[in-house]
Amino acid sequence: MKFILEGLTKCVPRIGALKEIEAHPGLSIETPMAMLYTRGGSIPHITHEVFKIISKEPQIIQIPMVSTYHYQEVMEEYDGNISEFVGLKDCLTCVSVQDPGDLTQPGHHAKDHIPLWTRSGKVLLNAEQYMNTVEAFKPDMYYFLSDGDTNAKSATKRISKSVENTVNFFKICLDRHRKSEVLKNSFVLSAIAGGYCTKARKKCINEVTKDDIVKGVLIDGLHNNGPEVEFIAFEEPKSIVEFIVNYLPEDKMRVVQGCWNPVVILKLVRMGIDVFDTSYCNLVTERSSALTFNFDNVSETQQYEINLRQNQFADDFKPIIENCACLACRKHTKAYIHHLVTVQELLGPLLLKIHNNYHFMKFFEKIREAIRNDTLKDLEDVVERQFMAHQRMLLNTKATN
Amino acid sequence: MSALKKLVNTTKMVTEKCPLVFNVLAECETTKARVGKMCLPHSDVDTPVFMPVGTQGTLKGLLPDQIDSLGLQIMLSNTYHLGTRPGPEILEKAGGLHNFMNWHGSLLTDSGGFQMVSLLKLAEINEEGVKFQSLNDQKSEVMLTPEHSIHIQNAIGADIIMQLDDVIKTTSPDKDRIEVSVHRTTRWLDRCIKAHKNPNTQNIFPIVQGTLYPDLRELSAKDHVRRDVRGFAIGGLSGGESKDDFWKMVHLSTGLLPKDKPRYLMGVGFAMDLVVCSALGVDMFDCVFPTRTARFGCALTMTGQLNLRQKNYKKDFRPIDENCTCSTCKTYTRAYLHGIVTVQTVACHLLSVHNVAFQMRLMKTIRDSITNGTFPEFVQKYFLNLFPEKDYPKWIVDALNAVNIKLL
Ligand SMILES: [Zn+2]
Ligand SMILES: [Zn+2]
Repeated sequence: MKFILEGLTKCVPRIGALKEIEAHPGLSIETPMAMLYTRGGSIPHITHEVFKIISKEPQIIQIPMVSTYHYQEVMEEYDGNISEFVGLKDCLTCVSVQDPGDLTQPGHHAKDHIPLWTRSGKVLLNAEQYMNTVEAFKPDMYYFLSDGDTNAKSATKRISKSVENTVNFFKICLDRHRKSEVLKNSFVLSAIAGGYCTKARKKCINEVTKDDIVKGVLIDGLHNNGPEVEFIAFEEPKSIVEFIVNYLPEDKMRVVQGCWNPVVILKLVRMGIDVFDTSYCNLVTERSSALTFNFDNVSETQQYEINLRQNQFADDFKPIIENCACLACRKHTKAYIHHLVTVQELLGPLLLKIHNNYHFMKFFEKIREAIRNDTLKDLEDVVERQFMAHQRMLLNTKATN
Repeated sequence: MSALKKLVNTTKMVTEKCPLVFNVLAECETTKARVGKMCLPHSDVDTPVFMPVGTQGTLKGLLPDQIDSLGLQIMLSNTYHLGTRPGPEILEKAGGLHNFMNWHGSLLTDSGGFQMVSLLKLAEINEEGVKFQSLNDQKSEVMLTPEHSIHIQNAIGADIIMQLDDVIKTTSPDKDRIEVSVHRTTRWLDRCIKAHKNPNTQNIFPIVQGTLYPDLRELSAKDHVRRDVRGFAIGGLSGGESKDDFWKMVHLSTGLLPKDKPRYLMGVGFAMDLVVCSALGVDMFDCVFPTRTARFGCALTMTGQLNLRQKNYKKDFRPIDENCTCSTCKTYTRAYLHGIVTVQTVACHLLSVHNVAFQMRLMKTIRDSITNGTFPEFVQKYFLNLFPEKDYPKWIVDALNAVNIKLL
């Protein structure tokens, strides 16, 4: 698998593509894009059968090790790779360490290990154990192990420790990757630690991006994952991401994890980030909401997001979005989804998830189109206007309550 | 073993005046089992049929497309739940439940009475209806009358609707009270028929009551048979009575009901019961069990149940059932299901698909063997498979004996 940039210049934002994929020779997955978020190997609420109904193209599913670690022993005996095991064999897999949708508990460090908060409690993982699991999973892509336990408030000591750990992990993972037969075709991404400190980031980049085996990088350590990431304002990671992106070799694919809101995503794209994930869709779905922000010029009444629990939808027999082509909008009404979420039936989040994922994928299509047409700033303005209006509305509701 | 008796097939059609046409297509020579086609306003239904329960206007998280590919022709919804939420006004505005949930097959609704008596503690029954305390407002008492039940069922718009009956605990020994309930159930039937606003599109089924008293069941059936209805439900069973009492009452009831109309045994759906009661001449079944048990990680197979939570499935790379063609068995191993049951909602969807597919397949096997004239052999093989040591439960041996099948 190769990551190829469209155009040769150093310009950002950028369009790229994953090509020459072993399992799908003709396939090209364009960036900027979002990997499908999974938990325990499943796209939340969406079975293989439903996935086949709603998605014709192979996609990349992100497999956080924290929610799949309990399969390691099983996978060692299983005659197949992780995508087959989790029932999504048409998808490409990318193994990550932490779960972007769940808060990663800070602290609990141990020398040469990172704490992994699995279903059955804390597991202290070192690079050898991590690579054993990756080898058992045989993913199409994976990140090297990293210590990403930093955020905007982290102390210098924690930051330098995270870089030290990540660099040490890098060396072991690289060595293991070189020796590994089953991983020889896997696409490798190294992780860059260093919190919000340029010096630490620089040091880490120098150590973990030089090798040719490394095809992409994960900018780790910007936050501790989970729902709070949605509310991180762009100003917070702006300068550090800018620094990192400028310092990085341009041919490597750049990934940022987490439930970033679409406005921040657009700004990160503008800085040259290539890959995100759909954990944000999950977050929106879990609060019984549907993404409705428009990508084109919009009227002031356009709602950014609607919450289907609200009584106003009880007799609203229109789809979530009038001309949305997703299965939920083609076949079901807001009134029905309102009913399902109020009586807590499983079909409610399933339909919302179908719509939200579809909407998010369309959003990324629009991003790529806007980059090609040089209209990304316009798209950003449109989305930001809706997002800000929605935030104001939420604040007002809070204030009146 | 048995030569097939083909019936002269004078296929009737669903006309605007008759929303249910039932044709018996084949009868078993040995037992009382029969294969039929029931033509309803929304779809044809092959009987004997198992109807999965989609309580609140959805079948356990399955998309209409998935329900279609399972070959489902009819499902059941609960009037009590739908009458509470979304409520009859919304359902009327939506143009009925079919539209609301976007399901184009047939639907059947219960009367809501049973749910009230079983869900609500302070239910009290008098001639007017079922009185219960509202869940929303502790102080107010609400009355479900036959008219009210039909009003909600008309708003839902199911192809088959149930009369409100006077539900009594199946094991109640109070024969006087049961006799009252039998007469009251018939009086309520007449009130339901009178209140029914859509006789051209919805079929109302009376419910044969009488719990475990043969004379009272006979009385109930005879009263109901005289009414102008197109099918019958057998109620008051599956309520904790002994299996011995259960099969005898089913056997008695199917014997009392006319052959040319479908017979629906309420609340029965375990695989063994489906096989035995098909032999006793029942055409329709419903049960929450297959979908409810899915939530707890339980998968149904021809030889019993698998509880996928158990550790022994951790490295079991076989599908739930090698012979099952459902989308779950085609894609997922027991090992993966073991890893996600009761943790990921996906597991619940996957097991629901399999369990409904299992019920559908069992019913198809029953229908095909009746049509082919091999039903008795199928029954023998089915139970030998379940009880290889031949330690058959006595009630099964007796019930099958009553319809001339001797287990091997
Ligand atoms: Zn949609
Ligand atoms: Zn199956």
